[in-house]
Amino acid sequence: MTDQLLIDTANQLFAATCTHAAVQDAERDGWAPDVWRTIAEAGFPWVSIAESVGGSGGTLTDAAAIIRIAGGYAAPVPLAETAMLGGWLASMAGLPLPGGPATVVPGQPGDTLGLSGGAVSGRALRVPWGGKAERVVALLPDGDGWVVASMAVGAASVEPGTNLAGEPRDTLVFDRAAADIVPAPAGVDPDALRQRGALARALMMAGALDRMSRLTVEYTRQRRQFGRPVAQFQAVQQHLVHGAQEAAIVTMAAEAAAAAAERGSAVFEIAAAKVLAGQAAASATRAAHQAHGAMGMTQEYPLQHLSRRLWSWRREHGDDAWWSARLGRASAAAGADLLYPSITGGSRVVTV
Amino acid sequence: MRFEPTELTADELALQAEVRAFLEHELPRGGFEPGLGMGASRDPAFSKALAARGWVGMALPARYGGRDRSAVDRFVVVEELLRWGAPVGHHWVADRQSGPVINRFGTEAQKERFLPAICRGELSFSIGMSEPDSGSDLASVATRATRAQDGWLVNGTKIWTSGAYENDWFVVLCRTSEEEDRHRGLSQLLVDLHSDGLEVNPIPYLDGSSHFNEVVLNDVYVPDELVLGQPGMGWAQNTSELAYERGGPDRWLSTYVVVEQWLREHADSAAGERGSLLLGDVVARWWGLRQLSLSVARKIDRGEAPALESALVKEMGTRFEQDVLERVLQLVDLEPSAASASLFERLLAAAILTAPSFTIRGGTIEILRSVAAKGLEA
Repeated sequence: MTDQLLIDTANQLFAATCTHAAVQDAERDGWAPDVWRTIAEAGFPWVSIAESVGGSGGTLTDAAAIIRIAGGYAAPVPLAETAMLGGWLASMAGLPLPGGPATVVPGQPGDTLGLSGGAVSGRALRVPWGGKAERVVALLPDGDGWVVASMAVGAASVEPGTNLAGEPRDTLVFDRAAADIVPAPAGVDPDALRQRGALARALMMAGALDRMSRLTVEYTRQRRQFGRPVAQFQAVQQHLVHGAQEAAIVTMAAEAAAAAAERGSAVFEIAAAKVLAGQAAASATRAAHQAHGAMGMTQEYPLQHLSRRLWSWRREHGDDAWWSARLGRASAAAGADLLYPSITGGSRVVTV
Repeated sequence: MRFEPTELTADELALQAEVRAFLEHELPRGGFEPGLGMGASRDPAFSKALAARGWVGMALPARYGGRDRSAVDRFVVVEELLRWGAPVGHHWVADRQSGPVINRFGTEAQKERFLPAICRGELSFSIGMSEPDSGSDLASVATRATRAQDGWLVNGTKIWTSGAYENDWFVVLCRTSEEEDRHRGLSQLLVDLHSDGLEVNPIPYLDGSSHFNEVVLNDVYVPDELVLGQPGMGWAQNTSELAYERGGPDRWLSTYVVVEQWLREHADSAAGERGSLLLGDVVARWWGLRQLSLSVARKIDRGEAPALESALVKEMGTRFEQDVLERVLQLVDLEPSAASASLFERLLAAAILTAPSFTIRGGTIEILRSVAAKGLEA
């Protein structure tokens, strides 16, 4: 269990820095220096990374709690990329951790990034905050195995891009760039990276769904039509209840997945969490927008910070259909007699 | 509202293994006709065998025949029974709600009289809430009890009473006094279903079965010692009873066995592209729902009253039970029949015919949403 003090601190810091204006400005500028400075001072981007390699210490569950809370505030910084993805790859490979923001090459069809003669060349697509990070960490093929490569972003040319939420998703182009290159240790491969990416997005989506549910309850209790708050209409209550349910089930699944990942194999739990999060990004977001009416379609109202992120994050590190097919193939292979035991035992029972 | 993640302890996992071994031995696959969750058939002999293991009324106090076990222990046993399709019909209502409500509100004499027999798997109960003009608006019940010598005379009609023909007792919600606040003046009476003046009329169910009944009470005498708890406190007691029956595995497992049997009989289709998507979706949601439902049981063990959480789980779980069925139907090209040689097709036929009841029984999803929406946090 994560320390309540850490959770309270995270809530206070994100609430103070990730104001509506700050998130709007970050979308315009591609960076939120004040948000980053504040969470860096608190050590958040390096939680769960051992102090011996320059991290802040703490458990994966601690990092998961912070990342979930950050999702609820639409925090416009590469927190998950630094703490759970790029920083994780670097620390697993024993590479020095950058002090500033770090990011990761998520691995896209169309990437051409590769090793050549001890240097790194090629294109890496949709790198989160690729142009604003100081280091970018990638998994690159090398013979039959993989290497972890850490490059200074300054060595790349940046083709800016964004996701549907206006978060930077840049293309980085390297040409014989110097890199720290270390063979990937056992258990560090593109599938492990995708699992951690999916876990991070599921956690962020849980936070966003919870905040979206609360925002919708608050709005519909204030907004009056026909002489009473619209929250009193049964048809609107259906939207409110659906939003709260989806927030609850995704939060539960994402937290359980983080706990499982802390223990060991967690593919079942991560798959389930990303499936549920992706489905919620469709249905709960639709319900929240419907309950908000036209107000929810404006930039001035914060719903869009959450709904656009949910739509974007749903598609990153494997969408719900991809994870569902993977989970389903494993369930089919395990067979009928193991179907329920896998629902109670998860990764302890079935290999996904 | 907060659902804390929780895991089963080593002791709870050992109990789970015991129940699984018991079911494989007592009800081997292929050796019995599984049913749809709590809608499974009744088998008093099975209920007694289960009770002999200490798994009926297990969360009730040992001095009344229970085993002092936790709500989570009961969760572990019940989920295995339901997913196995075990014939839980005889003891189901007594175990889930009548026993707990008697234990909570009953007199010492009532506990001694009813609870040991419930825990032996012998005594069966029906629910006496709904009336012809009183469904979701339960405070409007018109069944009345008037004072008689050392007791009450009850008149009225209860309806949709499952199992009234076979069961022994039912808990009747009725009006015992007229009050300005209609939530006052209601009482719960323990009524013998074989009482003089009590008539059970079957209401054939749409699938041809006859577990549904109307129960007419005509000057049925109920002695004072069978008033459950305090006269006039029936509404609060009844609300608490409904909380007991919400949020458990019976609200999301009704169609589980259909999927498991589909996987058993149509493994090739299940391993295909569409089959995998179906399996992945339903397994993910069962996983999530189970975690939420288990978290509710932990709250009960901590002495909390998770009414809002239970309502959210039940509303979501019962809709999902129907969604699961629809997903399977979209994948199989066949005309299911109750007489089919295939167990999967028999289960499918039963599920198609009974699925609409999932989101009605024990409180409609519309009422659950109204209850839940008021408690949500901004």
